[in-house]
Amino acid sequence: MDLKLESINHALQVMQNPETVTDMNQVNNVKILVRNLNFYYGAHQALFQNDLSIAANKVTAIIGPSGCGKSTHIRVYNRIYELYREQKANGEVILDGVNILSPQQDLIELRRKVGMIFQKPTPFPMSVFDNVAYGLRLHFKLNKNEITSKVEASLKQAALWDEVKDKLHHPGMALSGGQQQRLCIARAIAVEPEILLMDEPTSAIDPIATSKIEDLMELLKKQYTIVIVTHNMQQAARISDFTAFFYEGKIIEFGTTKQIFTNPVQKQTENYITGRFG
Amino acid sequence: MKESSITRRKVVDMAVRFLSAAGSGLGLFILLWILYEVMIRGLGAINLAFFTELPTPPGMGGGGLANAIVGTLLITMLATVLGVPIGILSGIFLSEFGQHSRFAEGVRFTANILMGTPSIIIGVFIYTVLVLSVGHFSGYAGAVALAIIMLPVVARTTEDMLQLVPNAIRESALALGAPRWRMTLSIVFRSAKTGLITGVLLAIARVSGETAPLLFTTLNSPFWPTSMANVMPNLTVTIFNYAMSPYADWQKAAWGASFLITIAVLIINIFSRIVFKEKVK
Repeated sequence: MDLKLESINHALQVMQNPETVTDMNQVNNVKILVRNLNFYYGAHQALFQNDLSIAANKVTAIIGPSGCGKSTHIRVYNRIYELYREQKANGEVILDGVNILSPQQDLIELRRKVGMIFQKPTPFPMSVFDNVAYGLRLHFKLNKNEITSKVEASLKQAALWDEVKDKLHHPGMALSGGQQQRLCIARAIAVEPEILLMDEPTSAIDPIATSKIEDLMELLKKQYTIVIVTHNMQQAARISDFTAFFYEGKIIEFGTTKQIFTNPVQKQTENYITGRFG
Repeated sequence: MKESSITRRKVVDMAVRFLSAAGSGLGLFILLWILYEVMIRGLGAINLAFFTELPTPPGMGGGGLANAIVGTLLITMLATVLGVPIGILSGIFLSEFGQHSRFAEGVRFTANILMGTPSIIIGVFIYTVLVLSVGHFSGYAGAVALAIIMLPVVARTTEDMLQLVPNAIRESALALGAPRWRMTLSIVFRSAKTGLITGVLLAIARVSGETAPLLFTTLNSPFWPTSMANVMPNLTVTIFNYAMSPYADWQKAAWGASFLITIAVLIINIFSRIVFKEKVK
């Protein structure tokens, strides 16, 4: 009974102080502006009126307990959810001034601009080289030399070149888990996206590989806008500039990572980051 | 509470084990018996002439079934060329595009029914459509009948094999900006390659022993095949005719042809297993 009252109180608090929920003023250079985003799996609503600003060339972390809609939220940014016919989104996701949810949006153009890294590494059933070249061949007319040099550059950028330069023609599946994930990053950045979505990119790999990928993100954010979903709060605290806390499909709190982790406004946020639930 | 009897549990366990082992033993025994009979009686008919010469009239001895071997190869090849692409395309549709739409459910249901349809019915159907209408039997009609038999097998195995490819890999390809058709052909297909080859091989094995559909469509001939538009020699109808004949040398040739088909199907099956194992490795 008490718990229920408590959550109602929180809800009231949220409604009374909307500026504490999503403090847009903290983000100067907005790359993606999400307004009133709702998401449905068939009849089940998974996201409720999400409002969020993603800063350009910063890392924004999305945290929250399992099933709270973190992955669902970022899967709207490249409209990958449309692979499944029962999934629907409405609202606005404005990327560089254009609402990408509009039916006029060209999906291929969108996905070239918005790259994605998934939880499990997904090398394609082809060589290391061809994995990276796959996207290049999709989007650009390049000759052999240009492809070779771009593949090399991408692998270097993904901090994988030294480990694979002698086995470029081995199957991508033969690499270790952490290497496969960096291969996926190389593949994603080869097509020169502006935004990288990372859906728990380190949850399936070991701590050493994880720290390599975290270091990599630090380098990548100079060039890309990164949105990362993570279960690992230390990771969010280490690598992100902004953090959004999700709970039951709603964005409970958004702010600079420092503020969220040291001085959260919402009780739920505090409970979550101090490990009292989730 | 009264405890249940341990002895009873053990007896029932033994009984179930024994019955299931006996059942599979019986199946295996019959299969081996067939293989043994076919081998013992068929091997005697196999010699060089069997593969190089035309059949001879009964009582003359010698001769072979070279024309029927060539005919069967041609008909099966044409059936594969007709049936496999359509089957694979339907499988792609079911797995990648139609999924659970009403149309796809209809296609899937039809394929299942077609898979269970006795092949003689397909033979009679092609007889009315492609034999009566033209006025004569032909290799084409036989190939179409076999292709129809292959169609549902290829479509359903293709669908099953594509369904084994994890969605994560589809999403990665789409997230890179691949159009859906390209994702299907260059990524999903490649991941499912060995499964698809296995499906096609098993479909070929399935039709290479069919007799009834050819009896109504291609018939048979004792001469070299000249054109697919005419009656064509083939092994299965030859077996049917020769085995029913009263002549000892024809019966022997029928055993030889049976042996050949059995070995061919066996080889295709073993080969498809090897192909599939490659993937697991």
